[in-house]
Amino acid sequence: MPELERSTSNFAITTRDLDIYYGNFRAVKGVNLDIEPCKITAIIGPSGCGKSTVLRCFNRMNDFIPGARITGSVLFHAEDIYDPKMDAVHIRRQIGMVFQKPNPFPKSIYDNIAWGLKANGVRGRLDSLVEQSLRQAALWDEVKDSLNESALSLSGGQQQRLCIARALAVKPEIILMDEPCSALDPSATLKIEDLMRALSRNYTIIIVTHNMQQAGRASDFTAFFSMDTDRAGMMIEYGVTSQIFTNPRNKTTEDYISGRYG
Amino acid sequence: MARDTLNLQIHLIQDELLIMGSMVEEATLQAVLALKNRDINIARQIYSNDRLINEKRYSIESAILILIATQQPLAHDLRLLAAMLEISSELERMGDYAKGICKVVFNLRDIEIPIPMKDLEGMADKAVNMFHRALAAFISEDADVARAIPAEDDDVDKLFLKAQRFIFHTMLQKPEIIDHSNLLLWVAHNLERLADRVTNICERTYFVATGEFLELETEPKDIQGN
Repeated sequence: MPELERSTSNFAITTRDLDIYYGNFRAVKGVNLDIEPCKITAIIGPSGCGKSTVLRCFNRMNDFIPGARITGSVLFHAEDIYDPKMDAVHIRRQIGMVFQKPNPFPKSIYDNIAWGLKANGVRGRLDSLVEQSLRQAALWDEVKDSLNESALSLSGGQQQRLCIARALAVKPEIILMDEPCSALDPSATLKIEDLMRALSRNYTIIIVTHNMQQAGRASDFTAFFSMDTDRAGMMIEYGVTSQIFTNPRNKTTEDYISGRYG
Repeated sequence: MARDTLNLQIHLIQDELLIMGSMVEEATLQAVLALKNRDINIARQIYSNDRLINEKRYSIESAILILIATQQPLAHDLRLLAAMLEISSELERMGDYAKGICKVVFNLRDIEIPIPMKDLEGMADKAVNMFHRALAAFISEDADVARAIPAEDDDVDKLFLKAQRFIFHTMLQKPEIIDHSNLLLWVAHNLERLADRVTNICERTYFVATGEFLELETEPKDIQGN
């Protein structure tokens, strides 16, 4: 169990008394979460428990939803990312996101990576950065001879790894993944999980997943969320994945983990 | 409550484990009775029935592995299945102790030898009684009962020492049948070990109920001494 008393700057992300609202509806309440750096943290829980809402709030993706707001704090190395002085674009460069459905641009494989670099003002030497990103995403060997072909010609699993490569290209510190394998077959899923493990040497990964076996296989820490009677999502239990899956401390976690929820 | 298939399969395995447990109880008590009556035929029958206990163990093991592979049990379910895997193997070894006693009955043939029957029967009764309650506590996941039973092993150990002393005495008095006396030591040893394995079952019960491994002490204070 991560120690709450450790300094917040030791964690990649820290939330304190985090509530998230959509208009007047409180979707998530009272989240106190410390994300370990260079580890994989899984957020699991039933539909509607607010896990994706929490994930999106880690890089201010909820800013795009009218009426969405938070109270409490989200700290990125002790810096409040909701401080009005903070630049949301800058935050999203450091905290990247990979979505449920692979969403490559309808452009070439090369351009999918290069575009983000150019948009971030990188000039020259793009070839080596594109190659490096594709290698990190374990895709290079499969696409090195077809870099100019459309990204849409790739399989679903390859497209998702391309999206991971695209997120890596701008050298983030944290990668948020929202159900990254739900549209993939088992072997493509396992490839992504292997990739996550390799990336966790250098990156902090937070993954939202419905697939409990995936959380068990792929994560170091697991946060279990559930819905309270007022329909607000809340964190029920947070701990080392091996403990959560063999000996959860909370009855609701036990019921969910063992498939007896609801 | 979801997971009807998993629940049902777990109950079926628990039933099989209880059946296997009663086979072991029966074999143990019958083996001691065969020794008392010097009944080689009964001993032979129990000896060959050990095969059925072994088969039961494999069928339980196979059912558990299939359930793990197909139902992905987690948390309490996983602990329970892991514990049953372990306990089925304990029961199989306990069955071997009964089988070992039967072997002694054959090997003694009709040699005249004093047997500390009262102590051996006392050990068997006590050990089987502990075993029976330990298995019941496992099924009901009663951590308190599971914690209390191992201390009763003291009673078995005391009888073991008595039986041992009796047998040593015979060895000194009748050195010409010292090998046969030695066989009787094995009977006492097997019953003592059977009771020890009850502690292992209790430890598993505690694990299933609490999720924690706890070594339950049997306080073997008199075993080495007088």
